[in-house]
Amino acid sequence: MNYFRKMRGTTTCPPRVSLSEICWSWLGAFVGISLVAYLNFTLLKGTGWLLLTGSLGASALLIYGAIKAPFAQPRNLMGGHILSALIGVCAYKLMPGNLWLGSGVAVATSIAVMHATRTAHPPGSATALIAVIGDDTVHNLGFLFVLMPVAAGALILLVVALIINNIPKSRRYPEYWF
Amino acid sequence: MVKRPDTNQGKVAPEISDDDIFAAMKEITGYLDITPGDFKEVYLLAFRHARERLLRQVTAREIMNRNVAWVKVDTPLKEVAELMAQRGISGMPVLDGAGRVVGVISEKDFLRGMAQGVSSFMGVVADCLQEKGCTALALRERTGADLMSSPAITVNEDTSILKIAGIFKERNINRAPVLDAQGRLAGIVSRGDLLALTPCPDGGAS
Repeated sequence: MNYFRKMRGTTTCPPRVSLSEICWSWLGAFVGISLVAYLNFTLLKGTGWLLLTGSLGASALLIYGAIKAPFAQPRNLMGGHILSALIGVCAYKLMPGNLWLGSGVAVATSIAVMHATRTAHPPGSATALIAVIGDDTVHNLGFLFVLMPVAAGALILLVVALIINNIPKSRRYPEYWF
Repeated sequence: MVKRPDTNQGKVAPEISDDDIFAAMKEITGYLDITPGDFKEVYLLAFRHARERLLRQVTAREIMNRNVAWVKVDTPLKEVAELMAQRGISGMPVLDGAGRVVGVISEKDFLRGMAQGVSSFMGVVADCLQEKGCTALALRERTGADLMSSPAITVNEDTSILKIAGIFKERNINRAPVLDAQGRLAGIVSRGDLLALTPCPDGGAS
């Protein structure tokens, strides 16, 4: 296919989901993110520990709103976040004074590693980026950033997904575990 | 992903439109993280795999003709020709005294035996018309062993039709005797038997 013709696209946008699907997605995301945010802003207030990261908001779309997608399955959710967090922390520690290079290396490497390990979860790359460009609270955690907020936060979202996504007859989650 | 499978393969995979896919995606509740275009690509590739799997699963045993006509190495060609004409077939296995398939004799072998130049039907006609008369007379005193193609290209009862089709194409033959586990003649498969598996547009088998 001609180079410029490829830019025109070849197919159509998938159909809109039903209203009930929209409502269940909203409910799951609301419960999951509210719970993690509540713990983050009350229990952990002033401790230096975190539970909520921006990338979990992106995960919410997948595990409550696109629950059939491979991106949204437990293997991808947990594997993608944990591996990417590890990569992000390494990138920051290796190049602490070079944020632009650290950012690029962290995100690009997280994509490559998630592909290679079949754990692709797009919010994982956001997690890797946060490990580099985050504030002092994030940087002070060091490798603990991988366990908390990342692994712990994702795990809570996963438990909520298992509970909420399986309530309606029309939904089931997950498609596969590992 | 740039290269989509050739959608002109209508004969291979049932034609499926983007509208069909869109409608199907709407029937499935929940968000499918795939475009109709990608779905079509997966569908066409999966259909090809399914087709090949079926071609591998169906074996000679299921499609062969068990009522197979055969001749012996010492059967006079006159009788060979009579039998082929009677049965309306264009070739058959040749067996030795012990019942082993040692060759196959077909119209092609006769043409080769009769024609001086080109071994085709029109080549023979041309020869006859050049005042040589009937060139088949030269074969009168000869037997199956003199004309047959040997050794015979045979298949087993367990040979898949995918493999058989490959053998037919590669060796440029139209039929192959099928041998059982003991190596005895069990049947014969011809190009027509393979063709009969292809459904006709009206739904029946050809």
